[in-house]
Amino acid sequence: MIVGTRKPLAEIQDMVKKYDRLLLAGCDTCVAECASGGQREVAELAAALQMGFRLAGQEKDIQETSVDRQCVHEFLLDVVEAAQERDAVLSLACGAGVQALAARLPETPVFPALNTQFIGETAERGLWLENCRGCGNCMLGLTGGICPVSRCAKSLLNGPCGGARAGLCEINLSMKVDPEVPCAWLQIYDRLQALGELDRLLKPTPPKDWSYGDASGPRRVIRPDQQAGG
Amino acid sequence: MNSQVTIVVLACLQAVPQPELFSSALEQGGLKARVIREPCSSKVEVFQMLRTLADEADLLWVVGCPPEACQLVEGSTRMAKRVGHAQEYLQEIGLEPERLGMVYIPFGDQEIISATVKEIQQRAQTLGINPARAGTGVPKEQA
Repeated sequence: MIVGTRKPLAEIQDMVKKYDRLLLAGCDTCVAECASGGQREVAELAAALQMGFRLAGQEKDIQETSVDRQCVHEFLLDVVEAAQERDAVLSLACGAGVQALAARLPETPVFPALNTQFIGETAERGLWLENCRGCGNCMLGLTGGICPVSRCAKSLLNGPCGGARAGLCEINLSMKVDPEVPCAWLQIYDRLQALGELDRLLKPTPPKDWSYGDASGPRRVIRPDQQAGG
Repeated sequence: MNSQVTIVVLACLQAVPQPELFSSALEQGGLKARVIREPCSSKVEVFQMLRTLADEADLLWVVGCPPEACQLVEGSTRMAKRVGHAQEYLQEIGLEPERLGMVYIPFGDQEIISATVKEIQQRAQTLGINPARAGTGVPKEQA
């Protein structure tokens, strides 16, 4: 899923201060799971903004809405309708959702309330970890289901480096991280050893072709079988 | 503008089976009070606390059982974390986090109920009207 975090309230307030009638639009999939942009968070932000603006001497008309997926145009019909009577929309979706909504609302300003962080996993309650960088050429089949591109601080394709200590990545030495960051390559080794498949690592992995990733401009996926029309 | 300080209490019925005790005691002290009965304090959400402060409350208090007595095992612990999160939000808004309080009360403990009422009264006297709630007469400034 896409993990996002709310922007500081002051930044949000500054973006929308000149608009009187606001629509706060949440997204009930990824950013609801990471407790930053679902229905609950929309309600929290609406109340917080209302209070923040009152303290600044302004009274705003704030409406709340939420859809299952803001990044899918079919889900946006209700938001688009609700936005017709609004001066601006504050989206609590990821960057993709904000842009899909903005594309549907050519005459209404749309602002992001979140900072989109990464593709991640809910590791435990209240802890989300980055574990996919969308490199476009997945090597998890080689590395036992642990991604060195996203989980190794150096994105090494052949590891570990010389900095690992006691199972931990050397970034723990310079950064105070809680929980500490494990060495992804030691995790890969342990995993493959447990599977009895260490031989996967006998052949060095060649340099990665990053043209499948974000090195070749905006990516797109086209599936003719899914497209409308003949 | 209503100059009477309004208190809202979100009370876990497992901790205080007769939560109207709060409203009667607070009203006797000259405050306006509303008690909302909760099946467990963990039912209280951050948005509910913020909305209540935005719409009607000058002070908001959440009452739960002591964590070790919580029938839903971690309900009181969750409530305390949510109260903490809501207080951080209040700080960001620029409103006194002390407008939101919480207390653990062992089942029907009269002594702690009385002490809580006293604490709320003192806090109400110190903080007064919540300038961020609806109807406080904040002059509207057109952007």
